[in-house]
Amino acid sequence: MAIENKKGWISWFNPIKYGFDRWLFAMHRFTGIVIGLYLMAHVFETSNILRGPLTWNNVMVFLDWPFGIHFGPYILSALLLVVVFHALNGLRLTIVENGLMLVKPYRPEYPYKPKSLAGWNFALKIVLGILMIVISIFGIVYIFTGVIL
Amino acid sequence: MRESKIMLLQYLTGLFILVLGTFHMLLLSVLAPTSNKVLYQYSSPTNHTLIGGTLYYSTVTAIYHTLLWGSIFELLLTFLVFHIFNGFRIILSEQFPGAKAEKIITYSMLIIGLIIFIWGSRTIVLMLLQGGI
Repeated sequence: MAIENKKGWISWFNPIKYGFDRWLFAMHRFTGIVIGLYLMAHVFETSNILRGPLTWNNVMVFLDWPFGIHFGPYILSALLLVVVFHALNGLRLTIVENGLMLVKPYRPEYPYKPKSLAGWNFALKIVLGILMIVISIFGIVYIFTGVIL
Repeated sequence: MRESKIMLLQYLTGLFILVLGTFHMLLLSVLAPTSNKVLYQYSSPTNHTLIGGTLYYSTVTAIYHTLLWGSIFELLLTFLVFHIFNGFRIILSEQFPGAKAEKIITYSMLIIGLIIFIWGSRTIVLMLLQGGI
Protein backbone atom coordinates (compact mmCIF):
# COMPACT_ATOMS: atom_id res chain seq x y z
CA MET A 1 0.00 0.00 0.00
CA ALA A 2 1.37 3.42 -0.96
CA ILE A 3 2.04 5.81 1.90
CA GLU A 4 0.44 9.20 1.48
CA ASN A 5 0.96 12.55 3.12
CA LYS A 6 -2.19 14.38 2.03
CA LYS A 7 -1.91 17.42 4.30
CA GLY A 8 1.81 18.02 3.74
CA TRP A 9 3.87 20.69 5.52
CA ILE A 10 0.87 23.02 5.90
CA SER A 11 -0.39 20.69 8.66
CA TRP A 12 2.57 21.78 10.84
CA PHE A 13 0.86 25.13 11.26
CA ASN A 14 -2.58 23.79 12.08
CA PRO A 15 -3.35 25.09 15.58
CA ILE A 16 -6.75 23.38 15.78
CA LYS A 17 -6.78 20.45 18.22
CA TYR A 18 -3.11 20.99 19.05
CA GLY A 19 -1.41 22.86 21.87
CA PHE A 20 1.73 24.87 22.57
CA ASP A 21 4.08 21.93 21.98
CA ARG A 22 2.74 21.58 18.45
CA TRP A 23 3.67 25.20 17.78
CA LEU A 24 7.15 24.57 19.19
CA PHE A 25 7.43 21.62 16.78
CA ALA A 26 6.34 23.75 13.81
CA MET A 27 8.64 26.61 14.75
CA HIS A 28 11.57 24.21 15.27
CA ARG A 29 11.15 22.91 11.74
CA PHE A 30 10.63 26.36 10.24
CA THR A 31 13.69 27.83 12.01
CA GLY A 32 15.72 24.75 11.04
CA ILE A 33 14.96 25.33 7.36
CA VAL A 34 15.84 29.05 7.68
CA ILE A 35 19.17 28.22 9.38
CA GLY A 36 19.93 25.55 6.77
CA LEU A 37 19.38 27.98 3.90
CA TYR A 38 21.42 30.62 5.75
CA LEU A 39 24.33 28.19 6.23
CA MET A 40 24.54 27.61 2.48
CA ALA A 41 24.59 31.38 1.82
CA HIS A 42 27.04 31.93 4.71
CA VAL A 43 29.54 29.38 3.39
CA PHE A 44 29.59 31.04 -0.04
CA GLU A 45 29.59 34.56 1.43
CA THR A 46 32.57 33.89 3.75
CA SER A 47 34.56 32.34 0.89
CA ASN A 48 34.93 35.94 -0.36
CA ILE A 49 37.69 36.37 2.21
CA LEU A 50 40.00 34.52 -0.19
CA ARG A 51 39.53 37.35 -2.73
CA GLY A 52 41.33 39.90 -0.58
CA PRO A 53 40.50 42.86 1.67
CA LEU A 54 38.73 45.05 -0.89
CA THR A 55 36.19 42.40 -1.93
CA TRP A 56 35.64 41.22 1.67
CA ASN A 57 35.07 44.71 3.07
CA ASN A 58 32.75 45.56 0.17
CA VAL A 59 30.71 42.38 0.78
CA MET A 60 30.47 43.22 4.50
CA VAL A 61 29.32 46.78 3.76
CA PHE A 62 26.74 45.43 1.27
CA LEU A 63 25.41 43.06 3.95
CA ASP A 64 25.09 45.97 6.40
CA TRP A 65 23.63 48.33 3.77
CA PRO A 66 21.87 46.06 1.23
CA PHE A 67 20.91 48.19 -1.81
CA GLY A 68 21.80 51.35 0.10
CA ILE A 69 19.35 50.74 2.96
CA HIS A 70 20.67 50.16 6.51
CA PHE A 71 18.82 46.87 6.89
CA GLY A 72 21.71 44.62 8.00
CA PRO A 73 21.11 44.88 11.78
CA TYR A 74 17.45 43.91 11.33
CA ILE A 75 18.38 40.83 9.29
CA LEU A 76 21.04 39.87 11.84
CA SER A 77 18.61 40.35 14.74
CA ALA A 78 15.96 38.19 13.04
CA LEU A 79 18.61 35.54 12.39
CA LEU A 80 19.73 35.70 16.02
CA LEU A 81 16.14 35.10 17.22
CA VAL A 82 15.79 32.16 14.84
CA VAL A 83 19.12 30.62 15.93
CA VAL A 84 18.52 31.13 19.67
CA PHE A 85 15.03 29.62 19.44
CA HIS A 86 16.23 26.59 17.45
CA ALA A 87 19.21 26.03 19.76
CA LEU A 88 17.30 26.22 23.04
CA ASN A 89 14.26 24.31 21.78
CA GLY A 90 16.68 21.72 20.36
CA LEU A 91 18.26 21.42 23.79
CA ARG A 92 14.80 20.85 25.28
CA LEU A 93 14.01 18.20 22.65
CA THR A 94 17.32 16.43 23.31
CA ILE A 95 16.49 16.26 27.02
CA VAL A 96 12.82 15.31 26.67
CA GLU A 97 13.03 12.93 23.69
CA ASN A 98 15.69 10.93 25.50
CA GLY A 99 13.24 10.32 28.35
CA LEU A 100 14.64 12.84 30.83
CA MET A 101 12.52 15.28 32.88
CA LEU A 102 9.35 13.31 32.10
CA VAL A 103 6.81 11.76 34.46
CA LYS A 104 6.68 7.98 35.03
CA PRO A 105 4.44 6.04 32.60
CA TYR A 106 0.78 6.16 33.68
CA ARG A 107 -2.58 4.79 32.57
CA PRO A 108 -4.47 7.33 30.40
CA GLU A 109 -7.65 8.42 32.17
CA TYR A 110 -10.41 10.83 31.26
CA PRO A 111 -10.06 13.80 30.44
CA TYR A 112 -6.70 12.58 29.05
CA LYS A 113 -4.66 15.61 30.00
CA PRO A 114 -1.04 14.73 29.22
CA LYS A 115 0.89 14.68 32.49
CA SER A 116 4.10 14.38 30.50
CA LEU A 117 3.82 18.06 29.55
CA ALA A 118 3.61 19.23 33.16
CA GLY A 119 6.13 19.21 36.02
CA TRP A 120 9.82 19.30 35.07
CA ASN A 121 8.97 19.48 31.38
CA PHE A 122 6.94 22.64 31.93
CA ALA A 123 9.66 24.15 34.17
CA LEU A 124 12.23 23.44 31.45
CA LYS A 125 10.15 25.38 28.91
CA ILE A 126 9.87 28.36 31.27
CA VAL A 127 13.62 28.39 32.07
CA LEU A 128 14.67 28.06 28.42
CA GLY A 129 12.07 30.66 27.40
CA ILE A 130 13.53 33.18 29.88
CA LEU A 131 17.06 32.31 28.69
CA MET A 132 15.96 32.89 25.10
CA ILE A 133 14.64 36.36 25.93
CA VAL A 134 17.82 37.29 27.88
CA ILE A 135 20.24 36.07 25.17
CA SER A 136 18.17 37.79 22.46
CA ILE A 137 18.22 41.12 24.33
CA PHE A 138 22.03 40.90 24.82
CA GLY A 139 22.51 39.99 21.15
CA ILE A 140 20.19 42.62 19.66
CA VAL A 141 21.65 45.40 21.83
CA TYR A 142 25.12 44.35 20.65
CA ILE A 143 24.10 44.20 16.97
CA PHE A 144 22.56 47.68 17.00
CA THR A 145 24.97 49.50 19.34
CA GLY A 146 28.16 47.43 19.61
CA VAL A 147 27.75 47.55 23.39
CA ILE A 148 28.51 44.28 25.17
CA LEU A 149 26.21 44.16 28.22
CA MET B 1 22.61 2.99 9.31
CA ARG B 2 19.54 2.53 11.50
CA GLU B 3 17.30 5.57 11.96
CA SER B 4 17.67 5.37 15.76
CA LYS B 5 21.46 5.73 15.43
CA ILE B 6 21.12 8.58 12.94
CA MET B 7 18.77 10.33 15.37
CA LEU B 8 21.29 9.87 18.18
CA LEU B 9 23.90 11.51 15.93
CA GLN B 10 21.41 14.31 15.24
CA TYR B 11 21.13 14.99 19.00
CA LEU B 12 24.90 14.76 19.57
CA THR B 13 25.81 17.04 16.65
CA GLY B 14 23.14 19.48 17.90
CA LEU B 15 24.83 19.64 21.32
CA PHE B 16 28.28 20.12 19.76
CA ILE B 17 26.91 22.87 17.50
CA LEU B 18 25.46 24.59 20.58
CA VAL B 19 28.93 24.71 22.21
CA LEU B 20 31.00 25.50 19.11
CA GLY B 21 28.37 27.93 17.78
CA THR B 22 28.57 29.86 21.06
CA PHE B 23 32.33 30.24 20.53
CA HIS B 24 31.63 31.40 16.97
CA MET B 25 29.25 34.10 18.26
CA LEU B 26 31.72 35.18 20.97
CA LEU B 27 34.48 35.45 18.33
CA LEU B 28 32.35 38.03 16.52
CA SER B 29 32.00 40.10 19.68
CA VAL B 30 33.77 39.64 23.05
CA LEU B 31 36.71 37.52 21.80
CA ALA B 32 37.31 39.41 18.52
CA PRO B 33 41.03 40.30 18.18
CA THR B 34 40.41 44.04 17.90
CA SER B 35 40.13 46.91 20.36
CA ASN B 36 36.88 48.16 18.80
CA LYS B 37 34.27 45.44 19.37
CA VAL B 38 31.52 46.87 17.12
CA LEU B 39 30.57 44.78 14.07
CA TYR B 40 31.15 47.65 11.61
CA GLN B 41 33.38 50.67 12.17
CA TYR B 42 32.91 53.20 9.36
CA SER B 43 35.15 56.16 8.52
CA SER B 44 32.16 58.49 9.09
CA PRO B 45 28.37 58.13 9.48
CA THR B 46 27.86 59.20 5.86
CA ASN B 47 30.88 57.50 4.27
CA HIS B 48 30.44 53.71 4.29
CA THR B 49 34.11 52.80 4.08
CA LEU B 50 34.97 50.07 6.56
CA ILE B 51 37.99 51.02 8.72
CA GLY B 52 37.63 48.57 11.63
CA GLY B 53 35.31 46.43 13.72
CA THR B 54 34.95 42.70 14.30
CA LEU B 55 33.98 42.03 10.65
CA TYR B 56 36.90 44.05 9.23
CA TYR B 57 39.18 42.05 6.92
CA SER B 58 42.28 42.04 9.15
CA THR B 59 40.23 41.10 12.25
CA VAL B 60 38.60 38.16 10.48
CA THR B 61 41.85 36.94 8.88
CA ALA B 62 43.59 37.07 12.28
CA ILE B 63 40.99 34.54 13.49
CA TYR B 64 41.15 32.35 10.35
CA HIS B 65 44.97 32.18 10.51
CA THR B 66 44.88 30.58 13.97
CA LEU B 67 45.05 26.79 13.94
CA LEU B 68 42.82 26.48 17.01
CA TRP B 69 40.01 28.59 15.57
CA GLY B 70 40.46 27.06 12.11
CA SER B 71 40.01 23.60 13.65
CA ILE B 72 36.95 24.78 15.60
CA PHE B 73 35.41 26.20 12.40
CA GLU B 74 36.08 22.94 10.56
CA LEU B 75 34.46 20.90 13.34
CA LEU B 76 31.51 23.29 13.46
CA LEU B 77 31.08 23.05 9.69
CA THR B 78 31.20 19.23 9.82
CA PHE B 79 28.57 19.01 12.57
CA LEU B 80 26.39 21.68 10.94
CA VAL B 81 26.41 20.01 7.53
CA PHE B 82 25.38 16.67 9.05
CA HIS B 83 22.74 18.18 11.35
CA ILE B 84 21.17 20.44 8.71
CA PHE B 85 21.11 18.02 5.78
CA ASN B 86 19.90 15.15 7.94
CA GLY B 87 17.17 17.51 9.17
CA PHE B 88 16.27 18.38 5.58
CA ARG B 89 16.23 14.65 4.74
CA ILE B 90 13.80 13.93 7.59
CA ILE B 91 11.48 16.81 6.64
CA LEU B 92 11.51 15.97 2.93
CA SER B 93 11.03 12.23 3.55
CA GLU B 94 7.90 13.06 5.55
CA GLN B 95 6.60 15.34 2.82
CA PHE B 96 7.31 12.84 0.03
CA PRO B 97 6.85 9.37 1.53
CA GLY B 98 7.88 6.15 -0.21
CA ALA B 99 11.05 4.12 -0.67
CA LYS B 100 11.98 5.56 -4.07
CA ALA B 101 11.47 9.17 -2.96
CA GLU B 102 13.47 8.53 0.19
CA LYS B 103 16.40 7.22 -1.82
CA ILE B 104 16.37 10.25 -4.13
CA ILE B 105 16.12 12.64 -1.15
CA THR B 106 18.93 10.90 0.78
CA TYR B 107 21.38 10.99 -2.15
CA SER B 108 20.42 14.57 -3.08
CA MET B 109 21.06 15.75 0.48
CA LEU B 110 24.35 13.84 0.57
CA ILE B 111 25.58 15.50 -2.64
CA ILE B 112 24.48 19.05 -1.68
CA GLY B 113 25.90 18.56 1.83
CA LEU B 114 29.24 17.41 0.41
CA ILE B 115 29.42 20.44 -1.92
CA ILE B 116 28.79 22.83 1.01
CA PHE B 117 31.29 20.93 3.19
CA ILE B 118 34.02 20.99 0.52
CA TRP B 119 33.41 24.67 -0.27
CA GLY B 120 33.53 25.68 3.41
CA SER B 121 36.57 23.49 4.14
CA ARG B 122 38.35 25.02 1.15
CA THR B 123 37.97 28.51 2.68
CA ILE B 124 39.14 27.36 6.13
CA VAL B 125 42.15 25.37 4.84
CA LEU B 126 43.32 28.02 2.35
CA MET B 127 43.07 30.72 5.01
CA LEU B 128 45.06 28.55 7.43
CA LEU B 129 47.76 27.98 4.76
CA GLN B 130 47.98 31.73 4.13
CA GLY B 131 48.62 32.05 7.85
CA GLY B 132 51.87 30.14 7.42
CA ILE B 133 50.95 26.76 8.88
